[in-house]
Amino acid sequence: MSDQIIIRIKELTKIYKGSEEPAINSISLDIYKDEIFGLLGPNGAGKTTTLSILCGLFTPNSGTVSIDGLDTRSHLHEIKQLIGVVPQEVALYPTLTAVENLTFFGNMYNLKGRFLREKIMERLKVFGLERFAKKKVSTYSGGMTRRLNLIAGLLHDPKVVFLDEPTVGIDVQSRIVILNYLQEINKAGTTIIYTSHYMEEAENLCSRVAIMDRGRIISIGNPKELVDEHPEFKNLENLFLALTGKDLRDG
Amino acid sequence: MLKFLYACRKELLLLLRDRAGLAVLFIMPMALIILMSLFQEIGWGTLVMESRIKILFVNNDKDTLGLNIEKGLRSSSYFIIIDSINGKPITKEVARDAVKKGNYLIAVVIPDGVTKSIRTNVRVMVTNTLAGFGMYKQGITNNLSFKQTDTVTILFDPTIRSSFKSAVVSSIKEYTYRIENEMMFGTFNQEIARQFPMYKPPKIDYREALTFREEFPSYRLVEKMPNTVQHNVPAWTIFAMFFIVIPLTGSLIKEREEGSLFRLLSMPVSYAELMLAKCAVYFLVCLLQCALMILSGMYILPLFHIPMLEIGNQFFPILVISISTALAALGFGLMIGTVATTNQQAAAFGSVSIVILGAMGGIWVPIFLMPDIMQQIASYSPLNWALHGFYSIFLRGGGVIHILPQTLKLLLFFVVTVLFSIIYRQIKSPIKK
Repeated sequence: MSDQIIIRIKELTKIYKGSEEPAINSISLDIYKDEIFGLLGPNGAGKTTTLSILCGLFTPNSGTVSIDGLDTRSHLHEIKQLIGVVPQEVALYPTLTAVENLTFFGNMYNLKGRFLREKIMERLKVFGLERFAKKKVSTYSGGMTRRLNLIAGLLHDPKVVFLDEPTVGIDVQSRIVILNYLQEINKAGTTIIYTSHYMEEAENLCSRVAIMDRGRIISIGNPKELVDEHPEFKNLENLFLALTGKDLRDG
Repeated sequence: MLKFLYACRKELLLLLRDRAGLAVLFIMPMALIILMSLFQEIGWGTLVMESRIKILFVNNDKDTLGLNIEKGLRSSSYFIIIDSINGKPITKEVARDAVKKGNYLIAVVIPDGVTKSIRTNVRVMVTNTLAGFGMYKQGITNNLSFKQTDTVTILFDPTIRSSFKSAVVSSIKEYTYRIENEMMFGTFNQEIARQFPMYKPPKIDYREALTFREEFPSYRLVEKMPNTVQHNVPAWTIFAMFFIVIPLTGSLIKEREEGSLFRLLSMPVSYAELMLAKCAVYFLVCLLQCALMILSGMYILPLFHIPMLEIGNQFFPILVISISTALAALGFGLMIGTVATTNQQAAAFGSVSIVILGAMGGIWVPIFLMPDIMQQIASYSPLNWALHGFYSIFLRGGGVIHILPQTLKLLLFFVVTVLFSIIYRQIKSPIKK
């Protein structure tokens, strides 16, 4: 992990209209280049809101965010060229084929022509989807669509990737392929910000995690070190439950 | 610019894969144009020979009036006269029963003695007239009186539309009045000859003092007779263009619901560019619809023996009104797609609102048949503005200057609906949390 800061969040606050409680409450965070950073928390903790602000989809009420030295308030268009987003929902056009989907998304990142076509086929091959390249996404299984969803967010080789629960509801084989790929691209220099409800996955994948609850960061650090600091908790999941409580959260 | 074109290509692909949407946009309106033109032509028009109306005819008079009415109706190209059923002559009761059961739509019953009544009344009129010359003894006219008018009964099936009923009654009345007048003059002549043997009655040809001529003022140098095609083709074309609401709102909402919009907004492309691409594709689809419908009117309707839609040299005004109608339809779809939160909401509201605006606008029923208050309300329907624009071109032979008011209203509607969509989107985030 590098010591160069690629994402700096300073006293970020977001309050939705009609809400009394802030969705995120003055959080500050530095994320380093080449790290896999996990953003963990129960439902309604503020993870997706944080991610949405980092992607430029929401405007914060106060605070600043910079990505690779660029302020999101003034350089959003340049930032969008550097980042990739893999949303929790499968954000694809089901009536288009995999190639048609990826061609369109690649075009939006200024990729085109033969370079784009070759890149698409190469990525489809890595994820075992090249045989289904010309089939409509509506015919894909859950695991296949998740893999394609991931490809769409990474096609342009972004510097920073935001993944919102990329492995939810898929088969084990697809999950392993995705996680292995993420580790590969991270080694090649891509910074990954990752939200998940799967603590074991975060513990194994992430170099650092931040545990959020009710819009605040309540703990941050290397997963192993966090568990070591609290030896009464055998793993990250138990630590997480201790910090956030066992009550059900419905967002 | 490149991203705009890429987005257009995406929209086109999505539309081509939406078969139900394509059917709504192209097949439904063509079917409507053909079917509605056929129905209206069969009802009252050039397909008369294959679909004349059967009238049960009961002639209890069996004299001049009854025979002449029968002759007049038989010579008409609109009716087939039936005076017997299963070889038996029809009576009034049989006719009433047949119409009641729905076997026949219309029956005409001429009462017994109606010709005699007319002759008697004519004699009374002649005597009264000549008595004024002092040709009769005093008091001779005191014992003379008019016979009570007999009634010709026309029986109608209750399901018949009142407009059709009125047309049939008018036709029958026209025959009876003409025959009655001819009889009066003839009888008058005969009565004078009877009372004054030296009078040699000349042969008088009955001629109508008044004739009627139909004219259709227009901007054309040469007047043309209007036909139903000039209403049907533009009316159903406009209806179809506004139905772009269904696939357009579906496209907008699906992107929100399926999460594609989330991804798109995180990409280095502006929402405005994406929306512009969507609008550009649907705008072209609208124009294509319009072109296909007009071509249907020109080349397909004549295959069904329906008059051809003639556009003459009015291509440019047609293009202007088509563009402004397409933009208005687009704006309307954009507005509904922005406000509606689900596909079901958008589809239900979109389709019902178009049907209502179409009914208000004169697509289904001509505006002049509506009550005053409804005619005022109709003037606020964009479909009404578009229809009037097309009428100015097809029925009145107008040019661009004559469709300017309707064109400006449609463009203003487009601007207002787009502005509303932009402002609404600013207030409500399009991203589904």
